[in-house]
Amino acid sequence: MPLTLRQRLSPARFLRGEGPEAGPVLLRQRRVFILPTRQGVLFAIILLLMLIGSINYNASLGYALTFLLAALSVVAMLHTYRNLLHLRIAIGPAEPVFCGETLRVPVTLENPEGRARYALSLHFPEQGRVLCELPADGWQRVELPLSAKHRGRHALPRITLATAFPLGLFRAWAYAEFDARVLVYPRPAAATLLPLDCIWQTDLSGDRGRGVDDFAGLRSYHPGDAPGHVHWKSAARGQGLHTKQFGGDRAEELWLDWAALPAGSGVEARLSLLTRWVLDADDAQHRYGLRLPGQTIPLGQGAEQRRRCLEALALYATESP
Amino acid sequence: MIERLREGLGWRWRQVELPQLWLLAGLAMALLPHLGRLPWLLILPAAVLLGWRLGFELKLARLPPRLLRWLLVGLALAATWASYHTLIGRQAGVALLIIMLCLKLMEMDKPRDVAIVIGLSYFVVITVFLFDQSLRTGAYMLLVVTLLTTALTAFSRGPSAANQDANLRLALTLLVQAAPLAVLLFVLFPRIPGPLWHLPDDSSSAGTGLSDSMSPGNISRLSDNDAVAFRVRFEGELPPSQQLYWRGLALTVFDGRTWRNPNEAHRGRSPLRAADYTAIGEPVRYAVTLEPHQRRWLFALDTPATVPERSYLSADFELIAHDSVKTLRQYRLRSYPDYRLEATHPPRDFRYLRLPQDTAPRARILASQLRAESASDAVYVQRVLDFIRRQPFYYTRQPPLLTGDPVDEFLFDSRQGYCEHYASAFTVLMRAAGVPARVMTGYLGGEPNPLGDYFMVRQSDAHAWSEVWLRGRGWVRIDPTTVIPPQRVEDQADLERIAPGYAARLQDAPDWAKQMWRQMGYGWDRVNDAWNQWIIGYNQHTQSHFLAKLGLGEVDWRRMVRWLFLGLALVVAILALRLFRRHPLRGDAVSEAYARFCRKLAQRGLPRGAAEGAETYAERVSEARPELAPQVGHITALYLRLRYARSQPRNGLSHLQQAVRRFRA
Repeated sequence: MPLTLRQRLSPARFLRGEGPEAGPVLLRQRRVFILPTRQGVLFAIILLLMLIGSINYNASLGYALTFLLAALSVVAMLHTYRNLLHLRIAIGPAEPVFCGETLRVPVTLENPEGRARYALSLHFPEQGRVLCELPADGWQRVELPLSAKHRGRHALPRITLATAFPLGLFRAWAYAEFDARVLVYPRPAAATLLPLDCIWQTDLSGDRGRGVDDFAGLRSYHPGDAPGHVHWKSAARGQGLHTKQFGGDRAEELWLDWAALPAGSGVEARLSLLTRWVLDADDAQHRYGLRLPGQTIPLGQGAEQRRRCLEALALYATESP
Repeated sequence: MIERLREGLGWRWRQVELPQLWLLAGLAMALLPHLGRLPWLLILPAAVLLGWRLGFELKLARLPPRLLRWLLVGLALAATWASYHTLIGRQAGVALLIIMLCLKLMEMDKPRDVAIVIGLSYFVVITVFLFDQSLRTGAYMLLVVTLLTTALTAFSRGPSAANQDANLRLALTLLVQAAPLAVLLFVLFPRIPGPLWHLPDDSSSAGTGLSDSMSPGNISRLSDNDAVAFRVRFEGELPPSQQLYWRGLALTVFDGRTWRNPNEAHRGRSPLRAADYTAIGEPVRYAVTLEPHQRRWLFALDTPATVPERSYLSADFELIAHDSVKTLRQYRLRSYPDYRLEATHPPRDFRYLRLPQDTAPRARILASQLRAESASDAVYVQRVLDFIRRQPFYYTRQPPLLTGDPVDEFLFDSRQGYCEHYASAFTVLMRAAGVPARVMTGYLGGEPNPLGDYFMVRQSDAHAWSEVWLRGRGWVRIDPTTVIPPQRVEDQADLERIAPGYAARLQDAPDWAKQMWRQMGYGWDRVNDAWNQWIIGYNQHTQSHFLAKLGLGEVDWRRMVRWLFLGLALVVAILALRLFRRHPLRGDAVSEAYARFCRKLAQRGLPRGAAEGAETYAERVSEARPELAPQVGHITALYLRLRYARSQPRNGLSHLQQAVRRFRA
């Protein structure tokens, strides 16, 4: 996207970058910024002293050395800039984490050129840095840490890619901001004894859950079913593959209910507690459902149920759906 | 290469972080040329500190605690003060810089400290050039700069970087790419004639060459010194060799043993007064390139008619520079070999006649005797020269030690001496007879470099002679050593000098090895001369001269700056174009094909997501349009292999392109 001159020179680009973008970001000339580092300023001061000394003592080789070093820093500036130029940055989806943990955002750096890139540093604002190198025409996947401070679905902050290679006198940097979101679940409460009588609604009326104890019938075969459970007799009769189904010994169905929690506790405290129970129920392989004000997640089991519940808890009463 | 070296040195060395090693090596090499100039009081601690840091890197020693570091700083200051009685100026300043830099090694852990140490190490390199700018030193220092730059790259790449050869190669690449810019700056950066301010002169820095006094043994000690004192280019005719007396300093004050130059207060300035100075015949025009000798006088043939910049002509017709010659100095002169100087009035100053009361009693008797026999001062001069010619005087580099009155003992007992003995004795004889006389020191002769168009005057050409004032002729140069018969000259080289042509007839032609050695010597001197002319002697004058020669016309500094910026912009632009050029690679064609594939799908309402990986995308597409699954899977797999796999399928790119072309969503 070509920029007008005004946009191109706008200080906002310099300070904030280009704004969120959809696809992988290719670092063209206009996205890479460069300024001297503190070491670079120090080097410039030393060069100035050298020049004054050369003038004062009429030392021709002094001039020569000063000029060589000055030229060296100019060349180093070009090399520093070039170390970022034409890199391609893409991100992958980050696994949701609980509040207080650290998100690991997978970032893929791709070097489309036939020369290696060295001493690249990546970081989210005020987050830890990750250093990496890229071989010529190669790529590298790094996991960029991002501490999750609040639950909910958040826009990914911009990534800063920087380098001071090869002499450390200049620092080139570029911003990459992606139109991507990360999910942060509420912080699970500390493990507490569950007030069972209050929220556990155990339905003992039937053995409808799946288990391994009692034969309950046949269903059609799904890839991945244990070979021991395949009903080979029907297969031999040419009726197709069927899998034997067994009923669970006792399916516990529980409802995790917002309304059942003590009324005095705050929203976040309730969400924390519910999160803890979702995790516990999932660990115990129970069938469970979640009731939040205005939202009910039906009974279910397994990773998908866990995800749905946690997502509902994460997004409860937040702006973004 | 570097790693293998380190491996070979044993397990301790394997732990050293290589960036530090580059830095320590560079710093140590930068300090090496200063060894001879620094007192042991500072060399020793600097070496210990360097060793300490190396020991730390080898995990053999711990760094000193903060309190001890401050104590060391205090000690370093004290040692510098004790050695120089000052902390500023060239010598003391350099010493202080070096010792403080070595102390900084004791607290070098943050990147900022490293930057300071490397920056100051570059500064140490430049301080070497304040003392020595020879070609050899320049080449050596380029090596040091390479090492220091390698250290910078190594630090910037991080200690994990395994391949140190790559760092060295990178540093060399950077330096080579910087070279054109540096040359441009060197040629076009307007030169400002220094100094900007006067720093205290270092009294302790004694240069080689002539000093401002002369006592027996003073000049003969230079007779083995082959170093070039200065080089001369003549414009037009060469003067005859017996006229190549390079005047340096007039010594007028005698204390019985040592001749001295009167100090500044007594010297006085002498404006060139036409009345006192009559030039006869054609002048000699020449340019002198004087090696730094740390003294203020310049050398000129008799008798300079022009005065170079930043210098003046003294009452004794010496050329005195405003500052001591610390760096190579070039000046152009016009001299009249034939002249009448202050011919009409005898010098009113009695210092040309003064002798210490009780010196040389026998010489005084001889002088009055000979003067009484002579009709005039001029005849008297001849009588004294005859005396030297007839008596068994020898010209030798190893004269016997004179214990009594040096003049009397030389004239009447030992009768063996070098030029300083003859000049001294002759001048005493003149003054004893009332003839105004002074001792001149300088150089005699010189050797043309057959490979260049210039003369080399070496330290071994140092010489002393006399000047006497004769009515009607003024100051006349008398060299008493020239009257010694050749058979009484001990050394071949001296004979060549004071009786040119004589030695060559006597000696056989040197064999081919000698000749070759000589030729190599000439060649090396020719290279050094070019270095001096073009690099060291590149000043404001030569700069404008050179630029005019390049066809830029008369250039003032404003135009120079303009040219400089234009040139720099051009060179940087060329370099940037070369560096930033995209390398079209197979990778781009692969992306291009894949992008076409994505566009085709997007047209069917299945655009690729923001950060969607190729595989996830393929899965999503296959779910939405199961009938496309095989094709999508094939293209995605091919793309991923071409993109990321280490081993590339054969004709992979054309397969991918073909598949994408055939793909109909």
